[in-house]
Amino acid sequence: MHRSLLAHRLAPLIVGLLSVSLFLLIWEIAGSTETVRSELVSYPTQILSAFKRLILSGELAQNTLISLREFGEGFAAAIVIGIACGVAFALSRTIRYLFEPIFVALYTAPIIVFVPVLVVWFGIGTTSKSIAVFLSAFIPIAINTTTGIEEISESWVRALRAFGASRTQIIFKAMLPGAIPSIMAGIRLAIGRGIVVLIAGEMYVSMSGIGRLISIYSVAPDGVPEIFVLVAVVATFGYVCVLLFSLIESGLTPWRSHS
Amino acid sequence: MAQLEVKDLSLSYPGSRSGSTFLALDKVNVSIEKGEFVTIVGPSGCGKSTLLMLVAALLRPTSGAVQLNQKDVTKPGPDRALVFQDFALLPWRTVIKNVELGLELKKVPSAQRRKEALKYLDMVELGKFCNHYPHQLSGGMRQRVGIARALSVDPEVLLMDEPFGALDAQIRQVMGLELLRIWERERKTIIFVTHDIDEAVYLGDRVLVMSASPGRVIQEVKISLPRPRDLSLRNKAEFTAYRETIWNLLEKQVQANGAWRQDSALS
Amino acid sequence: MIFEGAYKRNERLLLGALGLLIFAVFWESVVRLGYLNPITASSPSRIAQAFASQWHNGAILKNSRIFLFELTVGFTLAFIVGVTLGIAMGVNRLVEYAADPFVWLIYASPTIAFYPLLMIWIGFGSATVITVTFLLTFVSIVVNTMAGVHAAEPQMIRVLKVFGGKPIDIILKVIIPASLPLMLAGVRIGLSRAFLGVILGEMFSSNAGFGYDIAYYAGQLQTATVFVSIIILIVIGTIINLLFTAVEARLFAWKAR
Ligand SMILES: Nc1ncnc2c1ncn2[C@@H]1O[C@H](COP(=O)(O)OP(=O)(O)OP(=O)(O)O)[C@@H](O)[C@H]1O
Ligand SMILES: [Mg+2]
Repeated sequence: MHRSLLAHRLAPLIVGLLSVSLFLLIWEIAGSTETVRSELVSYPTQILSAFKRLILSGELAQNTLISLREFGEGFAAAIVIGIACGVAFALSRTIRYLFEPIFVALYTAPIIVFVPVLVVWFGIGTTSKSIAVFLSAFIPIAINTTTGIEEISESWVRALRAFGASRTQIIFKAMLPGAIPSIMAGIRLAIGRGIVVLIAGEMYVSMSGIGRLISIYSVAPDGVPEIFVLVAVVATFGYVCVLLFSLIESGLTPWRSHS
Repeated sequence: MAQLEVKDLSLSYPGSRSGSTFLALDKVNVSIEKGEFVTIVGPSGCGKSTLLMLVAALLRPTSGAVQLNQKDVTKPGPDRALVFQDFALLPWRTVIKNVELGLELKKVPSAQRRKEALKYLDMVELGKFCNHYPHQLSGGMRQRVGIARALSVDPEVLLMDEPFGALDAQIRQVMGLELLRIWERERKTIIFVTHDIDEAVYLGDRVLVMSASPGRVIQEVKISLPRPRDLSLRNKAEFTAYRETIWNLLEKQVQANGAWRQDSALS
Repeated sequence: MIFEGAYKRNERLLLGALGLLIFAVFWESVVRLGYLNPITASSPSRIAQAFASQWHNGAILKNSRIFLFELTVGFTLAFIVGVTLGIAMGVNRLVEYAADPFVWLIYASPTIAFYPLLMIWIGFGSATVITVTFLLTFVSIVVNTMAGVHAAEPQMIRVLKVFGGKPIDIILKVIIPASLPLMLAGVRIGLSRAFLGVILGEMFSSNAGFGYDIAYYAGQLQTATVFVSIIILIVIGTIINLLFTAVEARLFAWKAR
């Protein structure tokens, strides 16, 4: 007894959709009829109208842009410095061992613990948030760059050396391209870490940004629907980032088959 | 009455396109007496493993039936122990724990379980390795653990799917002798799949020759060589004659089918 | 010669210690030479002083107790729910399809942003901290446990069936051991997320613990005291990681290296 291919493909979709719609429906009914207290849990249509309000007032766009800038600055620096550190560690064991405890320390504690100190040092503006994003993102990128380079087969490097390639040429023509998949995995990890610390940092103290909006609405008397909207915005942002970097990855590594 | 009866057994697998089916076995009939040693040869992909899986009831037949002592076989059970082609040891269990598995499932108390398992491990000469993990053993040793595991549940029928497939020629012969010795003592019914014609003749009371896919039993060759057998048998004229007969039967099937494994063509 | 051998064997540790030392000396001198404000920048010697006073007034022990309590409760709950749900989803298609969207939603959504909602729902204090820890932790355990179950080879399941194993035997003797490596990888990720959860919780919705102290003393511009909490968290984290590695090494003695 086996099911047809069609049923096989559709089953997860149908069951998943059913369970989600059921959930939404119960939520909507329970909330809008005040079976549960809607100021605590809100309900889907109320959240939709909060979304409309946030867009029309321009609040959402303005704060999203600020968060984007903070994230972009920190993350760009993390990519450049992370890859550079990773290459240095792969080339010299001495350098790696010298820096290892500091890296392990930064990787063990969640970076959010440094945010209050960063605020003391750099103020409550965007700089402290960008640096927090940088700190939490550059370590996984560096680690994955190192492992990526170490996993490249010796024969690649030897082949280039045989053609008289210089050290720089070997780095850029063999090591980095070969390590791309691993670096990209590190970047994907870094995205999640960066977003968490960004939002948490803005919630801790800031003048603007999505996190700031979240903390404003969390103390507002009827801010629950807005919080749901903002959560969705942040989730979408993370999703788009991951998607973007997968696209970049397949552009950078046309020799791999992507499924 | 035969102990094991395979009656008009057919099996279709789901085909590559949705809705289509692939006929792997086509009305197979076999009947096997208690204590008999039956060997099966056939071209690769003709359904030998499928037949054993059906007897073990790991698959359900599309039509036909398997009967053990006149009762339909519907679910797997320790009365028919299977020795897997790829050993299938649980990697996280030590050798002795692997052998104990079947006994554990039969709810044998742990002290007795250990004793039994050790007995069978000694039988396959692995007593010293009882606390090793499978990855620390050679292929031949792993295969012997698989055999000990199957014997330990004291099955009525032992199903062996190319149990020596992973071994080199030398060990293969030793293991064959070993199996004969065990069989002569324990008198289990054995169904033994192999692609080595010599092995099939040397071990079996009867050799079943199967056709290319869809698998059917095209001929049963009774082997009336005296027992106990030993390696010198291979040079006897009767032995060569049996080998010749089976080789000719198979050659036709292989030509029909295209490919025959190289190693058996050489043997 | 002897020294050379000893150095080679401990190169990693020695160089690491040297790196830390250089870092500390550099930090200390920059502050002493007046390039940085000693109060806000703090310095290793100031951190040592702050450590001594935090130790004497009992704050370190108290905060460690709170931290470990919240971490243990949140993590244990997440472990139990995560493993159970992960196995159920791995074994049963219907459960998988129904629960999957929710699991991925929680996995992908920034749990931190739910914080205010949880505070509105649950209130202030340990209960919220534990809930956030739970939410952050259990998804990574669910996802990995499910992947582990899917990684169990059908052949192993067949072995159990051949010897008359029932579904419960298959789960206990094949599916759980087979999924253990991936499950534990999930637990490891879960642990670091639990760490984050507790700290976030203490920072935002509690009035005790390292997270609270970090935010509080930063507000007082007592940077050295903040660093004391940070360093202790790093030490606790490192100890947990080492323990975990030891447990893994024991559990997976059967793996070929
Ligand atoms: N799960 C399956 N789904 C579809 N087709 C299958 C499946 N298992 C086996 N087959 C097909 O059934 C036929 C018989 O397979 P089987 O494994 O029984 O052959 P075999 O005689 O044991 O071959 P070998 O000597 O190579 O082990 C083959 O053609 C194979 O392609
Ligand atoms: Mg086979």
